[in-house]
Amino acid sequence: MNFIRNLLLGLWYILTSSYIKGLIGQALFTFLGFQFLNLLLPDNLSEFSLMIGAIIGVIGFLLFAGVLTDWLLWIGGKETPLKHGAREGRPEWTRYLGPDVNHKVIGIQYGYTSLFVLLVGGLFALIFRLELAQPGMQLLDYQQYNTLFSAHGIVMIVSILLGVGAMLNYLVPLMIGASDMSFPRLNAFSYWVSIPAIVLVLTGMAVGGWDTGWVGYPTLSLVGPLGTMFFLLGFYINGISSIAGSINVLVTTATLRAPGMSLFRMPIFVWAALATSLIQFTATQTIAVALTLNLLERATGLVFFNPAQGGDPLLYQHLFWFYSHPVVYVFVLPGLGIISELLPVFARKPLFGYKWIALSSLGIALVGFLVWAHHMFVAGMSDTLRIVFMISTLFVAIPTGVKFFSWVATLWEGKIELSTPMLFVLGAISVFLIGGITGPILGTVPTDLHLHDSYWVVGHFHATMFGGFIFPFFAGLYYWYPKITGHMYKEALGKLHFWLMVPGFWVMSFGQMSAGIMGMNRRYADYDPALGIETQQVLVTLAAFVIGWSVLIMIYNFIASARTEPVVSMNPWGSRSPEWQIPSPAPEFNYDVPFEVVGDPYDYGLDKPYIRFQVVAGD
Amino acid sequence: MEKNADWKKAAQRLGMYVFIGLMVLTLIEYAVSIYLNSTVGLFITMLLKSALIVYYFMHVYRLWREDSH
Amino acid sequence: MSATTAEHAVEHAVEHAHDAHSHVPPYHVQLKSNRMGLWLFFISEIFLFGALFAARFYLWHVPGVGQTRPELSQELGLLATTVLLVSSYFVFRGETAMEHGDRSRFLNSYMMAALLGLVFFVAVVVMEWNVFGLEGSIAGIELFGHLGIDDGVYAGVFYAMTGMHALHVITGVLLLLFVWNRGRKGDYSPERHWGVEGCALYWHYVDVVWVFFYPALYLIGTPWH
Repeated sequence: MNFIRNLLLGLWYILTSSYIKGLIGQALFTFLGFQFLNLLLPDNLSEFSLMIGAIIGVIGFLLFAGVLTDWLLWIGGKETPLKHGAREGRPEWTRYLGPDVNHKVIGIQYGYTSLFVLLVGGLFALIFRLELAQPGMQLLDYQQYNTLFSAHGIVMIVSILLGVGAMLNYLVPLMIGASDMSFPRLNAFSYWVSIPAIVLVLTGMAVGGWDTGWVGYPTLSLVGPLGTMFFLLGFYINGISSIAGSINVLVTTATLRAPGMSLFRMPIFVWAALATSLIQFTATQTIAVALTLNLLERATGLVFFNPAQGGDPLLYQHLFWFYSHPVVYVFVLPGLGIISELLPVFARKPLFGYKWIALSSLGIALVGFLVWAHHMFVAGMSDTLRIVFMISTLFVAIPTGVKFFSWVATLWEGKIELSTPMLFVLGAISVFLIGGITGPILGTVPTDLHLHDSYWVVGHFHATMFGGFIFPFFAGLYYWYPKITGHMYKEALGKLHFWLMVPGFWVMSFGQMSAGIMGMNRRYADYDPALGIETQQVLVTLAAFVIGWSVLIMIYNFIASARTEPVVSMNPWGSRSPEWQIPSPAPEFNYDVPFEVVGDPYDYGLDKPYIRFQVVAGD
Repeated sequence: MEKNADWKKAAQRLGMYVFIGLMVLTLIEYAVSIYLNSTVGLFITMLLKSALIVYYFMHVYRLWREDSH
Repeated sequence: MSATTAEHAVEHAVEHAHDAHSHVPPYHVQLKSNRMGLWLFFISEIFLFGALFAARFYLWHVPGVGQTRPELSQELGLLATTVLLVSSYFVFRGETAMEHGDRSRFLNSYMMAALLGLVFFVAVVVMEWNVFGLEGSIAGIELFGHLGIDDGVYAGVFYAMTGMHALHVITGVLLLLFVWNRGRKGDYSPERHWGVEGCALYWHYVDVVWVFFYPALYLIGTPWH
């Protein structure tokens, strides 16, 4: 009886959650906004009306979800102290259903949304991989294929951005000894605004799809079906989340560090978070401009990119890649930070070259801004620019190389403990190496002229993303799972996940690259059997399914272990990092007793403390 | 209290001077455009004007000076 | 029994409140964070406006001629620029007044700045864009712009730059009015007036952007049509 009552109550909480309310608000406001503008504006601007309606819809989502309530009350002149904990009389888990200001809750919200979106994007990939397994068209038509691979791209990017948000939000305040972020409400806003963005992208698939890939190049995007508009707009709205979130991280790190924590005594992940946020809060604005101009040209007929009317499509590519190249470093830097963070714990040795690693993150971020046009070697740029960007591109190898050498040197003669997080870290290094050494071949103009737009690029890109983000992200999830839940995951299932995913990935990566060299074009729905790449295509499809299943194993593991596995000891990994010196899950305000930093973070094996909890007089 | 009033007057006077400087620069800008058509000259006035606003109106130094009110 | 429980609950609540309170950063730290956050936002916006600025130089460059610009009403441009500079002065005046505890001058100045902001918006959107398709002149000076949607990249870049700036102007006017409203109700003191300061910073920033946009749109290059 009680069980059924709880079940019904739980369902009721979910049905009245901010997610559902927000969706209703979004649908309602989009409809009303569109109708209203349609009445005001002439008929040839109906797509413009729909665009503005969709933007109003995002505001509707936020209003109905209750994200803006505190700010609206402030405008009305009311004081709005931060509320902590679940709503009165409701169980603790309902906090995750609405806008909560605690950084750990927001981090977990980011985390499960990221995983959910990852599954959706993965599903898209599996569908069009099935299509590619044989030459000829079996499952899909061309438009469906185009929509699926385009949606796979953008949905995965959103998923990765959410995953980055999850790591930064959950870990940065814990690691620097803060009780929360500097701007908790803005933090909640950053998460919640990404939900209507995802909804917009998925709506785009339903209203005609789009065929531009995730890059949305004009002039194709100017004439594509209506779905293109929704995709561009969803991409745009997601940028707001990135900018707000990264400013929050930067300010928090600057002002709320524990006493004694100088910049070079921060956990190394915080450096990665800083470098990532530096890219995110600046570069994201330029893609906002690219997308705004694109949307305006589509919807109103203003001219920016269409060469037939005096515009220049290269301008879009410059603005687009000025964001989209640095943003791959947004994806990989937190991942590389996790690798550097975890290696010393599991090798029981100090991190080799702490300062170099810290500065190499900033170095990657800086160089990342100077290489964008290497995506445009065949786009009709001047030869001088090609040479300049080739040279700057090859410079990326230097700070990245610093990291690799430090990792190898940290492992050297360490007492390595191969539990799941460490396995994933090692897997990440191996996969990122594949991605890394296939990069300069694409960064060099003569070879790129041949490999551009081939499956080689697909192989390279997936290796960098898996090595730089997916593997370290999973390593981080396993590593901090006990911290988040207070329970241990099932080690056997974790190892199974790893041993399915790593070989799966290797096969996929080499298959893609080999197909590319033999003439397979990226973004093509079909290929000539005479290319002789059918074996590779079948192998890649099989490997993709293995990877997909292994991720499901991880999710099952996390859900099943949250209740059953025994409560962990306080510090199961023997870490020196401050977040492991307090109970799991961490208390509402993290550190009930403040600490000060008295040593270096990675002196494993040396008898020197990193932090000391302050003795509070009296009390 | 007397001192406070003095400070206030001085601060308001400073604001007025900066504003006059901005207006003069705007007119110079206009003249540069008409008589010289010099992009470099216009960039210099832009930078001067923005520097005036950022320093005197936006008090950028408050970011690193510790006194707060 | 029940009394003890209630007492315990009260004690717990007090303890909890104390807990939450001690974890809120002190005002001077939060002020520092607020300033830094707002300035980071400004830096972020430099990239937004900078990209538009760069697009202008990219698209309005005619090979063999160099930089060009559309023919716009110079009088309107100068008027809009002056109005925005005056409003920036009023915001400065208002903020300085609040720092010294002069509430009425603060309120008047902010209201004045908001009204001037609206005048600027009208000058750009109603007069220069001419959204209502009006005509008219005073002393031989045309009051309404002629740029139309079929003027190619000239119209595109002009509308995109002024439009993005006008969006920020409207946001700024709203912020000024919100702060004015709270100030009217007795909020803010010489010691604590982050709302006043932040709003002033934002308004000056909108002015700085126009300092760059005005020459880029009205002055640089040769008129072209």
